[in-house]
Amino acid sequence: MTTFRATLALLTTGTLLLTACGGTGSGSGATTAAQAPGGACKPEEVKLIGQVRNQTNPYEAAWLQGGDEFAKKVSLTQQRLTYDGESAKQQEQIRQVLATGNVRCSVLNVLPNGDSDTTPIVKQAQAAGAYVVTQWNKPADLKPADYDKWIAHITYDGKESGKQIAHALITAIGGNGGIVALQGILDTAAAKDRFAGLQAALAEHPEVTLLDQQTADFDRAKALTLTKTLLTKHGDAIKGIWAANDDMALGALQALEAAGKSGKVAVVGIDAVPDAIKAVSGGTMTATVSSDGPWQGGIGLAMGYCAATGQLDVSTIPTRAFFAKQFLITKDNAAQFATPKVDPAEFECANLFKRATGPIS
Amino acid sequence: MIEVSGLRKAYPGVVALDGVSLQIRPHEVVGLAGENGAGKSTLLKALVGLVRPDSGTIRIRGREVRLRGVAQAATEGIGMVFQEQSLVPNLTAAENILLGCEGSAVRLGLYRWRRLRELAQAQLDKIGSRVDPMARTETLSFAERQMVEIAKVLAIEERTRAQPVVLLDEPTSVLEAEEIETLFGQIERLRKHASVVFVSHRLDEVLQVSDRVYVLRGGQVAGEVDPATAGAAGLHRMMIGAEATGSHYHDDLHRPPERSSVRLSVRGLCGEGFTDISFDLIRGEVVAVAGVHGSGREELCRALFGARAVTAGQVLIDGEAVSLTGPRRAVRAGLGYVPSERKVEGVVSAMSVADNMTLPYTRPQDVEEWIGRLRIKTPDRRTPIGSLSGGNQQKVVLARWLLTGSLRVLLLDHPTRGLDVGAKSEVYRLIRELAAAGVAVLLLADSLEECIALSDRVLVMKEGRVTVTLDTPPGAKPDPVDVVKEMV
Amino acid sequence: MTADRLQTYGPTAALLALAAVFAVLSPQFRTLGNLQNLLDAGAVLAVVTIGATYVLLLGCIDLSAAGVMGACALAVSLLVANSRTALDLGPLGVLLVVALGAAFGCLSGALSVGLKVPSFMTTLGVSAIGLGVATVLFAGVQPAVSDPWLLQWASGRWLGFTRVTYLAAAVVVLAWLVQRHTRLGRYATAIGGGEDILRLSGIQVGRYKVGAFTVAGACYGLAAAMVTAQLGSGIVQAGAGLSFAAITAAVVGGTQLAGGRGGIAHSMVGVLILTVLANGLVLIGVSPYVQRAVQGVIVVVAVGATLWPLRHRLEVVK
Repeated sequence: MTTFRATLALLTTGTLLLTACGGTGSGSGATTAAQAPGGACKPEEVKLIGQVRNQTNPYEAAWLQGGDEFAKKVSLTQQRLTYDGESAKQQEQIRQVLATGNVRCSVLNVLPNGDSDTTPIVKQAQAAGAYVVTQWNKPADLKPADYDKWIAHITYDGKESGKQIAHALITAIGGNGGIVALQGILDTAAAKDRFAGLQAALAEHPEVTLLDQQTADFDRAKALTLTKTLLTKHGDAIKGIWAANDDMALGALQALEAAGKSGKVAVVGIDAVPDAIKAVSGGTMTATVSSDGPWQGGIGLAMGYCAATGQLDVSTIPTRAFFAKQFLITKDNAAQFATPKVDPAEFECANLFKRATGPIS
Repeated sequence: MIEVSGLRKAYPGVVALDGVSLQIRPHEVVGLAGENGAGKSTLLKALVGLVRPDSGTIRIRGREVRLRGVAQAATEGIGMVFQEQSLVPNLTAAENILLGCEGSAVRLGLYRWRRLRELAQAQLDKIGSRVDPMARTETLSFAERQMVEIAKVLAIEERTRAQPVVLLDEPTSVLEAEEIETLFGQIERLRKHASVVFVSHRLDEVLQVSDRVYVLRGGQVAGEVDPATAGAAGLHRMMIGAEATGSHYHDDLHRPPERSSVRLSVRGLCGEGFTDISFDLIRGEVVAVAGVHGSGREELCRALFGARAVTAGQVLIDGEAVSLTGPRRAVRAGLGYVPSERKVEGVVSAMSVADNMTLPYTRPQDVEEWIGRLRIKTPDRRTPIGSLSGGNQQKVVLARWLLTGSLRVLLLDHPTRGLDVGAKSEVYRLIRELAAAGVAVLLLADSLEECIALSDRVLVMKEGRVTVTLDTPPGAKPDPVDVVKEMV
Repeated sequence: MTADRLQTYGPTAALLALAAVFAVLSPQFRTLGNLQNLLDAGAVLAVVTIGATYVLLLGCIDLSAAGVMGACALAVSLLVANSRTALDLGPLGVLLVVALGAAFGCLSGALSVGLKVPSFMTTLGVSAIGLGVATVLFAGVQPAVSDPWLLQWASGRWLGFTRVTYLAAAVVVLAWLVQRHTRLGRYATAIGGGEDILRLSGIQVGRYKVGAFTVAGACYGLAAAMVTAQLGSGIVQAGAGLSFAAITAAVVGGTQLAGGRGGIAHSMVGVLILTVLANGLVLIGVSPYVQRAVQGVIVVVAVGATLWPLRHRLEVVK
């Protein structure tokens, strides 16, 4: 389920570039709009659309719930679209929603299937006059600043996630000992970035050794089998398990339980899926990092709603492609993440960009 | 037992059966003779319910029946031994014999192997076969499988308690001489239990085993013949409807080969099934390879076409070495091959006549001309070849090589297998014409008679080696008995 | 005959050779603990492969495991004691899920036979239906299993082997007996050997085809329960990738795609080959970046070496 974070490497590169340019991006945001800018829509005219791959994993299900919560706040409903991870189907759905109703008051909060899918989506939305917010995937050279209907692109810094949980893991095992890493699908940017974060953390702690690193393809069942094998191979030398997502972390937990080592080996993951948060508050898992699906599902719609109703002037947004803040979840704060919920205040037009931690391009 | 009257069946463009009436009596062996397309197969299929006639009636033991399938025919006591064998290769012989009517050998879906074995053995005993009922069918020889097939047909006795009628469709077409004798013994034995309908393209066989022979021509019964009084020639005349003219083997078309120019030269060829084979083929020469089953002649033939591995030796065509690494290179070198397993290797059933003819090379413009010249009976060139009769299919296969134009050597592996007299004669004519055009032909003949009559020379193979070469020029043909002596 | 034998014993020889190589290279591979781990790891694949093998024997292909297992995994996690529903059916829940899997298999078979559509198409369709059912059952919240009886399948051990291992072994034996000694098993094999011949013998081929698909579905249902026990919760992706893994295992073991050849015993050797390979490569420390390629090469070499003497130059492979 995490493959869509594939672009993080490119985005990280983008960050470096932008740092070099010294943030000149903010000035260029004022693109000349030929038509009158947004604001022509009455609140009840706005149509909210949330599009994700499918509803079969907790993360994307929570995303759509967040969208529903925002819609309820403004007395509207969200139209839910899922495209089963098929790029062609995603494009077809976009074409359809842009061909019906009052398109100029439509707001799309989209999870593009891959980098290349983002380009046609924003171009079509721009042409039709609908507001669009994209998340996770986009080509590095495609910039919201060049469009006036593409409000923002939001993503998370995978290297930072990998590093944060690595630090939590290292602390949990007392700063020394052996750990193993369960990688995601190796040729994805998400897997690479997160592992880079782990390596960065290990570089600061030479007394912690990486005994082994294997891939379980972000898959829970594969992680289960793999962890059992690694336990056979390294035995008690394993003090901690770093997993590139929560699904694999949960698979590792099952393996530990079957081996009677539940709670004796520290496990960390990424995504903050409900089961992982439960495991963290229960003490079997050490930490996870939240990418906050409900917030992602609501914020994109909120941005579009504010722009469509004239409460947000797109041209004045300083950074329109940014990393969002992520939260390390440990036993101490697990309770507040236990049920995916949103703070309606965050969706106020004035607070839309509070979570931006830095520009990506 | 069975009385057929006025049976008619028409397919688009062809009337297969046109008012056929005949009777089959208890303990009788009835022969069916006729050219390909005369309606023999359709008649048999109608008798086992695979073909539903348009009109006419079938009465079994005096009761009119409408057969809807093999299963129903079996309950009426009619079973058929198909030309293309109908045994499941990966089951045991016993399972095949009792397939679909296991009776007490299967209880509640569970197999009782001992009972199954006993029941199957009982069927095999009826025909005195020594086949192991628990042997996997694919490990049996063709003749053994045929025995299993007959045993399977006899198993329908258990269902009806009446005497069965066994239909044998071309049972001898792929059997060696001694196996055919065994089969005829079995037919005599069968007569005690059953009535038999015997279909063969070999007229002498039909005359030998049958009590009465029906001759079919163009979907009609052309006549009923008493084998005691009629000869093969008379039968043949009745089949083709006119006095058979000219020599069967077209000796008049024979041209003496050009002694000086060697077309195919085989030097010390070794491979699985044959060793150290050396011979030359001259332009325009027909050389037959004789040998019993297992002599290695089939293997040699396939190896020459590159369809089987060669371990040593060399093959030259017109003095140039040919690489035997696959059929494609063989075709390029001017070699053509007509395989014996026509259905498996010779034609692509679903493709049209035209596509099959031009399979190795795409030059469709001559197709119509060749359909005419070879007298291929097909509604048109786009007809799927699978719907043609065997003889016409074979002509298409031959035409394929004629069309290539660059043909220098033709390997014929039983080219007339399963063909009727008329079709055979046409294939012989084609072979003569090819030879006269300078093609060297290597022939694995279907019968010894054919082997001697058609060839200029005969290579006799025994245990993988060429043991003797006999000259067989027209007018000086050796006695078949002498050739057989060399073979065994 | 030698070729026949090679086909029968070749995969077993390949398995022993692989195990020998790993045993030499890795001391951990030789331990009893790893044997226990290996058989535990191969248990789910074994049960799925049994199902796939029945369909392969027919000469058909079943790609429905992913969807059927997704639906069954969600169903079983909601039927036993869990975090979402008040149900606590225990063993009955597992039985119901096996029946659900069988129903899916029956649907696949009936569609293939009734509509005369190639089985890989109908089974892909049924897989999609299964995933749809799974999505509805999932409803955004992953059900966590709290039934100790089911969880014990994965964690409870007898003589060091997990209960899942024993369960898989029992299913293997049962499936082998069914294949060898029942009409369903024999006819499934026969259909792969010559379906038209069975029809000519007046056998209702369709019925046995549907039967084989149904057995396959039941296997997927049971496998889904096993995965759910191992993972502790019902996940939609429970069967992801298992259809292809199972077909690969079956073919590596000597069960032929064309049908009629091989069977449960062959397929199980294939399962062991794949499991040993995955386990051994980790234990001897092959880099994860090249592991998949190494696995692929070994599988291709194993299959190629086994089938090489059987090939016939004019044979058509589809």
